[in-house]
Amino acid sequence: MSTLTFDKVSRWYGNVVAVNDVSMEIGPGVTGLLGPNGAGKSTLIALMAGFLSPSAGTVHLDGAPVWRNAGIFRQIGLVPEREVAFGYLTGRQFVQANAELHGLPDPGAACEAALATVEMSDAAARRIGTYSKGMRQRVKLASALVHDPGVLLLDEPFNGVDPRQRMHLMSLLTRFGSEGRTVLFSSHILEEVEQVARHVEVVVSGRHAASGDFGAIRRLMTDRPNRYVVQTSDDRALAAALIADPSVIGVVLAPRGGLEIEVGDFGSFAVSLPRIARGLGVRLIEVSPTDESLESVFSYLVSS
Amino acid sequence: MPSSHTEPRTGGPAGRAGGVIHDIGYRPYAGPRGGHGAIARSLYLTGVRNVFGLGRSGKSKILPFALLALNVLPAVIIVGVVTFIGLSSLPLAYPEYAATTTILLGTFAAAQGPILFSRDLRHGTISLYLARPLSATAYALARWGALATGIFAFVMAPILVMYLGALLAQMDAGEQTTDFLAATLVSLLLAGMLASVSGLFSAIALRRGFAVVGTIGTILFGYGVVAVIQGISLEQDQERVGEIAGLFHPMTLYAGLVNVLTDADNAITPPTGAAMEVLYVVVSVLLALGGLGLLLLRYRRLATR
Amino acid sequence: MNPTIVRLSAQALFGRRRGLMMLVIPVVLLALTLVVRLLTEPGTAYTEIVGELGRDLALPLVALLAATAVLGPEIDDGSIVYLLAKPVNRWSVALSKYAVALGATLGFGALPVLLAGLVNDAGNPGTAVAMLAGAVLAAFTYSGLFLALCAFTRHAVVAGLLFVFLWEGTLGNLLSGVRWLSVSAWARDLAAAFSDRIDAAASVGTPYAVVAALVVVVGGVAFAGWRLSTFSLTGET
Repeated sequence: MSTLTFDKVSRWYGNVVAVNDVSMEIGPGVTGLLGPNGAGKSTLIALMAGFLSPSAGTVHLDGAPVWRNAGIFRQIGLVPEREVAFGYLTGRQFVQANAELHGLPDPGAACEAALATVEMSDAAARRIGTYSKGMRQRVKLASALVHDPGVLLLDEPFNGVDPRQRMHLMSLLTRFGSEGRTVLFSSHILEEVEQVARHVEVVVSGRHAASGDFGAIRRLMTDRPNRYVVQTSDDRALAAALIADPSVIGVVLAPRGGLEIEVGDFGSFAVSLPRIARGLGVRLIEVSPTDESLESVFSYLVSS
Repeated sequence: MPSSHTEPRTGGPAGRAGGVIHDIGYRPYAGPRGGHGAIARSLYLTGVRNVFGLGRSGKSKILPFALLALNVLPAVIIVGVVTFIGLSSLPLAYPEYAATTTILLGTFAAAQGPILFSRDLRHGTISLYLARPLSATAYALARWGALATGIFAFVMAPILVMYLGALLAQMDAGEQTTDFLAATLVSLLLAGMLASVSGLFSAIALRRGFAVVGTIGTILFGYGVVAVIQGISLEQDQERVGEIAGLFHPMTLYAGLVNVLTDADNAITPPTGAAMEVLYVVVSVLLALGGLGLLLLRYRRLATR
Repeated sequence: MNPTIVRLSAQALFGRRRGLMMLVIPVVLLALTLVVRLLTEPGTAYTEIVGELGRDLALPLVALLAATAVLGPEIDDGSIVYLLAKPVNRWSVALSKYAVALGATLGFGALPVLLAGLVNDAGNPGTAVAMLAGAVLAAFTYSGLFLALCAFTRHAVVAGLLFVFLWEGTLGNLLSGVRWLSVSAWARDLAAAFSDRIDAAASVGTPYAVVAALVVVVGGVAFAGWRLSTFSLTGET
């Protein structure tokens, strides 16, 4: 049982902040790292695997720092997004080499076991250059599994993999999670994460936007009172109608035009606002949540 | 990568009720289009710019311009010295310059060839070009032309500096101009030959490093081999052997051509006799065009694959 | 050293077309030597063929090709993470790669110098052996230097070429002080120490040559190992 701990980790490249003050713990089970493209997922995984030094803060695996600590790879299996460039090796040669590099007592057996786990034993004699995307992905997984690691990090493992192989990979991840391994994979696709991971970490623009059970996050966002600023063609008429709606707690006419609305139940507000506006013939020019920490998660989850 | 969660624009498989394609205002381009010539021209111009890192990242400008600066520097020094001392002629004939700076020239040709030829092949973007109306032949021609133009500019820059310096120093303008034009002609041939060598290696080796070493190996090591043969043949009074050996390398061909077309003399065993002189010209042209031909062949095969 | 890394690097080096490319250079050199020997008397153009072509031109090219092949592409496309995501000492990775590059340079760069010397002037095997000594020193040093360059920049090949041909070659001919920082000058020096028939134009002294070469080798491998130990996996490039 291993735990990865991020403590106030930031990483910037010159003026660009890729990861901004992230603190989190990733424990046993499957965790999905969710975020749009360019959110910093790959940077986070590189930080976890010790392939990037944090500009500030620390990353530890069970108390040991991961940066410049080659020893942690005894516990970590990494599946990078990067393609295997050893196209001139066969799948078996590649996985076997990985087993040898781990200094395993019986690399041959470990190699065969890993290949069997990902169901690549039959194709293992072919050169990697001839593999399909899904097969490459599975060979990469096998190479990360040879030493039976307690932590498995996968960067976009489902990218470009066809649906059948995707199902297979997902069931493997679920299995590893239930075996007590710490499995973390990144994805920008909500449905993928939903199917495999109960626990999600959401990153948006390098910031740790949400974490926890997927359903709980969604509920948190919908149940708590939220504030919105709405620009309309007729503020007063809409305000009068909105205050009659049970989902709305309060409406303020902003001095410079527009409405500030406090919402009790987001779910029904999202339905009733457009309906009321339409009924009154009021045009909604802009609807935006003012709660910034939630805005990012919200806009990401809703738009995906 | 396109998200799989965007709203489908079509109503799904035929027969399903209620499907509709929304008109959200996208329109196909209906304006005037350039012909094949325009495409090739723009590809050529982009190529010439790219050889010098223009239109690419700041980092990729460093190498070509550093080499160019190193290449022009001696010319500036020569002009400075000539004007300072007040010589009546340049200490170095125009076409001798490129022979003196072979290393810089070779490095430039070797390093910039892969930019035009290797990347499209390695990253598979070549299929994007070939999916356009432009033919594989036109693509290869435009690329080769761009590389040759870049190398030509590289060779001519210091020569131009020396020429302008000579004119400003009030040397005999007619004589200088004749020499300058002759240098331009041989430089054209040299640029064509080097572009063929570099282009071929780049289109075959794909990995930048190997293309560079292959090209520079051919240019420098091959030059060394031929020069040794020429040196020995001169020593043994078998100049004919050296003259023939000189036909096998761009730089010795160049040196021979310089000897034929100008009165400058830096070939170890210059071609003698009208037949040999003509042969040098013919082989130079053939080498440049032959390399281009092989390139065309390679791209044509790619297009039909 | 790590046998698996050695094996993978050797496969990357010899298992493909680029291995062939490395073979072309010594083959051309030896063919030239043979032709010259058959048509002229022994010892003709010895310095030009064995020294200038073999040691100063062919050997650095082979060394550059070998160093690039074992390290360049893997760092370029980031696939080196597959080797580094292992509990393997980074310096042992660097050392293993150095060993493979060195082996290739010795075989395809230094050995041909000996053979060319023997073919060109069979009557003086001592001179050829002395040339070999210089070539071996050059092979060790160039391999270390180029490995470090490959670990440092994507433009290692061009940087290496400029160092060998512009710095050591052109500038070395003009400014004699360059010899203190010139691998080919050290190699010439060592060769001259072994044979009276070879003259070192301007000597740096054999001890200096050997120590300097050693410093470059150790420094180069150490630097490459350090670069690997701080290897960062960046996003899309």
